[in-house]
Amino acid sequence: MSNLTEFTKGLWDEHPIFKLVLGMCPTLAVTTAAINGIAMGLATTFVLVASNLVVSALRNVIPAKVRIPSFIVIIASFVTIVDLVMNGYFHDLHKTLGLFIPLIVVNCVILGRAEAFASKKGLFVSLLDGLGMGIGFTLGLFVLGAIREIFGNGTILGITLFGEGFYPLIIMILPPGAFITLGILLALMNKIEEIRGTA
Amino acid sequence: MKEIGKLILVLTLICFIAAVALYQVNELTKEPIALAYKEEKLKAIRSVLPKYDNKPDTENEGKISIVIGKDDAGNDIAKDYYVATMEGEIVGVAFEGISSEGYGGDIVVMVGVTPDGTIHGIEIIRHAETPGLGTKIAEEPFLSLFPGRNLENTKWGVKKDGGDIDQITGATISPRAVVFAIDDELKRFFEKKEEILTKGSPQ
Repeated sequence: MSNLTEFTKGLWDEHPIFKLVLGMCPTLAVTTAAINGIAMGLATTFVLVASNLVVSALRNVIPAKVRIPSFIVIIASFVTIVDLVMNGYFHDLHKTLGLFIPLIVVNCVILGRAEAFASKKGLFVSLLDGLGMGIGFTLGLFVLGAIREIFGNGTILGITLFGEGFYPLIIMILPPGAFITLGILLALMNKIEEIRGTA
Repeated sequence: MKEIGKLILVLTLICFIAAVALYQVNELTKEPIALAYKEEKLKAIRSVLPKYDNKPDTENEGKISIVIGKDDAGNDIAKDYYVATMEGEIVGVAFEGISSEGYGGDIVVMVGVTPDGTIHGIEIIRHAETPGLGTKIAEEPFLSLFPGRNLENTKWGVKKDGGDIDQITGATISPRAVVFAIDDELKRFFEKKEEILTKGSPQ
């Protein structure tokens, strides 16, 4: 695989949400609005890139038997850093996402990439892998959040889209809306794959 | 034995480095976080009170502590009131109300009243309600239902319970919690009014 495909695979072929179906907790829980999806995605991307880099750099130092606890300590440290920095400098955003930030620790995408990729590959490709997966994850959360916000609240990124006559589908911003939207998007993605003939 | 020694050493080292890094970040962000919380409260006080020229959130300049009851051990329970003055006259008092009746955790509301006990403004400081539904209690259409209301001219309850306050479509529990918290605090303010206004008037 060339360096470019290490980056782009996270955007489609191995998309963390729609192909690997990992990290469902934040995917379903925070995507009630597009902005929440973006913020959660970017926080996850930061942790993913940073942990991929550190895991890759230490891949010959960490013994296989303690690799999982080591990865978790590394990931948890970066998550705590994001949590503290966000609380101090982006306080309003932290108020919305506060509950979900600590949960990045148990996001399978991050441990999955550390285990399956970064612990076996070099620094540079691990960086590309983390960036690609992170951006793919962010885009996925944004699309989910945008769809749910449009139908459930009649707004996109806080901007009102429809006139007075619009009646929001409240179910879309409630948990069932997350499952419905995710299901439709997964189906759509599989259909596209079928048409491309690569499924 | 040699292997286990290596495992322990590596894991300990990783944890040690992580601890040092986190200590540093914590030191760096401690101040901005404390500042953000303070600013949040100050912003709420500012938006619920009429125009003032003192500093209601600082000790000796308006922040007063009133005994509102006793706990199980017989110790006094104190509550902070933020008194705003303009050219030496009390123009308003702000105080916090907390409700544990919300849909997800405590709802903290800041209430600002004029000296006669009529609401000037309210602001939701903290809540963990359902995003997109209960969160509307922190938005303008709901917040603007309150100014001008007091204990006499309003039946404190949501419409579903026979009160005067409109609930939010799809969410009754969150507005109900807010309404109850404000009602409780207004009653308490009324009870302690003399004490607050005496203690809060500028010397």
